[in-house]
Amino acid sequence: MSKLKVLTLGWEFPPLYAGGLGPACYGLTNALSRYVDNTIILPRSDQNFKVKNVNIIGLNHLVSAKRNIRQDKVDSINKDEINWENELFTSYPLDVPQHHFTQLINSEKSKNMSMEERLHIFSEKDIYGANIMKKVAAYTDIVCELAENIEFDIIHAHDWITYSAAVQLKRRTLRPLVVHVHSLETDRVHTQSRNAVYEIERVGMLYADRVLPVSKFTKQCIINHYGIAEEKICPVYNGYDADFNLRSRRKHQTAKKEKKVLFLGRITAQKGPEYLIETAQKLFTKMDNVKVCIAGTGDMKPHLEYLVEKNNLKNKIVFTGFLNKAGVKKLLSKTDAYIMPSVSEPFGLSAVEAAQYDIPCVISKQSGAAEVLPNTLQADYWDTDRMANYLFASLNYRSLSETLTEKTHVNIKDINWDAAANCVLDNYKHLLN
Amino acid sequence: MTSLCFYFQVHQPFRIRQYQYDEIGINHFYEDYSKNFEILNKVADKCYLPANKKMLELIKRYDGKFKISYSISGVALEQFEQYRPEVIESFRQLVDTGCVEILSETYYHSLSILYSKQEFKRQVQLHTEKVKQLFGVTPTTFRNTELIFSNEIAQCISEMGFKGMLCEGVDRFLLDRTPNHVYESPGVGEFKLLLKNYRLSDDIAFRFSNREWKDYPLTAEKFANWVHGHAGEAECINLFMDYETFGEHQWRETGIFDFLDSLPEHVLNHPDFNFKMPAELLDSIPSVDIYDVPYTTSWADEERDLSAWNENKMQKYSLHKIYSLEKAVKKTKSNELMEIWSKLTTSDHFYYMSTKFWSDGDVHKYFSPFESPYDAHIYFLNVLKDFEETVMNYKKQEVQKNIPGILSGGRQRKTRQYATFAIKSIK
Repeated sequence: MSKLKVLTLGWEFPPLYAGGLGPACYGLTNALSRYVDNTIILPRSDQNFKVKNVNIIGLNHLVSAKRNIRQDKVDSINKDEINWENELFTSYPLDVPQHHFTQLINSEKSKNMSMEERLHIFSEKDIYGANIMKKVAAYTDIVCELAENIEFDIIHAHDWITYSAAVQLKRRTLRPLVVHVHSLETDRVHTQSRNAVYEIERVGMLYADRVLPVSKFTKQCIINHYGIAEEKICPVYNGYDADFNLRSRRKHQTAKKEKKVLFLGRITAQKGPEYLIETAQKLFTKMDNVKVCIAGTGDMKPHLEYLVEKNNLKNKIVFTGFLNKAGVKKLLSKTDAYIMPSVSEPFGLSAVEAAQYDIPCVISKQSGAAEVLPNTLQADYWDTDRMANYLFASLNYRSLSETLTEKTHVNIKDINWDAAANCVLDNYKHLLN
Repeated sequence: MTSLCFYFQVHQPFRIRQYQYDEIGINHFYEDYSKNFEILNKVADKCYLPANKKMLELIKRYDGKFKISYSISGVALEQFEQYRPEVIESFRQLVDTGCVEILSETYYHSLSILYSKQEFKRQVQLHTEKVKQLFGVTPTTFRNTELIFSNEIAQCISEMGFKGMLCEGVDRFLLDRTPNHVYESPGVGEFKLLLKNYRLSDDIAFRFSNREWKDYPLTAEKFANWVHGHAGEAECINLFMDYETFGEHQWRETGIFDFLDSLPEHVLNHPDFNFKMPAELLDSIPSVDIYDVPYTTSWADEERDLSAWNENKMQKYSLHKIYSLEKAVKKTKSNELMEIWSKLTTSDHFYYMSTKFWSDGDVHKYFSPFESPYDAHIYFLNVLKDFEETVMNYKKQEVQKNIPGILSGGRQRKTRQYATFAIKSIK
């Protein structure tokens, strides 16, 4: 049998990415490249960034190449299936301000755009932005066009932004479709959200021959909120390239008097920052020498700042704002306990990141990380009593934190991209036989 | 002649509750009353009462030819007295037949022999008194918590005046010999050892209802045949197990009681087989060889060592911490503090903290009242933190001649606060 040819549809890819999707997409594609020939189509790519055995096509470069693509040959996104006027509309990404909502709704059709315009849209630096739906529509059209000249056996689409293109491709080529679910609209917005993005996700998963969520937790969400058949859902845990040299750096910190608790992530409702404040307040009643550090930014930051101000916690809870990689590293090496009270977290790579620094982690049960890191302290995100109790214990009982981190150290070794790639390969093979 | 020796362990710990960090220094009540009450009732109904009834019936049916032995921890006895006195009564009826031996152990089912000989002796003494008070007998055979054993322990027990003790027959120390003889420890004359035959014991205790097991289903006839296979080469076959095997670990529906019912008949079918109690074996059978155990062994897990209680840092620290408080607690001369401290030495607390099979989930998880070994450790340390503060403050308060009983004091102080508050609001 000749080597399998995969057409991957991605959105974020290093070095250009906004969240966890980019590194995850890269990690998997890179690990798979040993076994399959891969072509990946992205809205934007950096031509200097190359992956062995992977053909990366960035739509932003097609503009400069001025490729001549015939117009209107393809339909716009699968409008038959998508109920655009669906109930309440919630924004994506969450930071989009109110006044952009209408624009979002009305911009989904790219029919009256010329191909030039369609390509031009990807010269914008922001791969999301207020005109995200326009980008999705344009991406769909261009991908369908491009795919005619690409040979492939299977389609692998990463997250909702590519699903519309993936579904179109599947219809035209009848190739099996695998959709990868890194996160869901029901995670990002609210479990009850039924908006355009939700619809795209649902249709994408309906059409897919295989749905690969990043955790069992997400699998359950897909079953509960999207009504997708359980048989075709197969969780594939993300990998992580842990750097264990980082461990020793933290060891020297143990003697210091003041303890530091860290929250790291976007400050959005999904990450449960309000529960963090509640937990911290409870913890402060028993401990003086502790500071809570909130790293990251997001739409709920002003609200949190207000809460901190109101409850007079300004000298106990500090905001660092957005941090770059070096800043995160520095902060992690000074942290005594990590907390992730996410309301709904498909994976939660930042917990794994913290764990590699030998930091005891208190994480919500509503997360994929809880599955791959069994030796962490886990509580329901709303159970702030329990979380405060866990933080208190991690900060005060060395016997506990050392056992936790020792055991987690072993678990982290099992979280790797090769295992993920093998699992994906199994699914490919199953579909092609 | 080959004797079958049945020994059953009866034990229920005083489990601690989910004692939160914010109760430290405020609330001094640690026990999970409702869970202890619930579990004791459940096990009494499923195991202790029906199993005792069956044993009594068998002893009467075979007119003294069926004999068994128990060791019942002091904390279990205490809970029977509190919640289900009829269990005590049913054990008393069994002891009165003369076919049941009660063995000696530590009152609190603790690991004290490994950490404090003085405390160990005190707990054994307490247990002896309790058994004497409830059943009117004085134990002469010793059985340490979870069959924990070594040469050194044998030495210590013999010095305390016991005739012999029970221990696990561990392959790595038996060195191709069978556990089916009476052995002795090196350098301790006159003191004999009965070794558990773990294969035959586990056939009943663990494998009985396992459908994947090639010998499933296990009938009394089949088991008796295996036992009879040892005719002529064994003096004693020691079947040691948790009493909860009958009705609790192996449910009634598995047929365990029917198995028990017909076992004596099939065993006694062979003229060379009988049942004996440990003390009888120790009196009548001479030792054949030395069982040399330089390292501590137990009957727990595959490893049969101390790793079920003392493997990870959480367990090591908890054990270290609780025994490091011994002196301070004893110095207070408060019976109340002494009792609380002793209850915290019960081995189960440390067993719950085992991470050995945590991810796979198995026996440790089955027995634990906590969600994880980490919870077990956290709540134990929260309790210990409060207890330590209480002990330290007790000294000061004694000097100031303030509140006499600090533990009831906690409750009193609280009520007093409420009382004051009530009066104020009336005004």
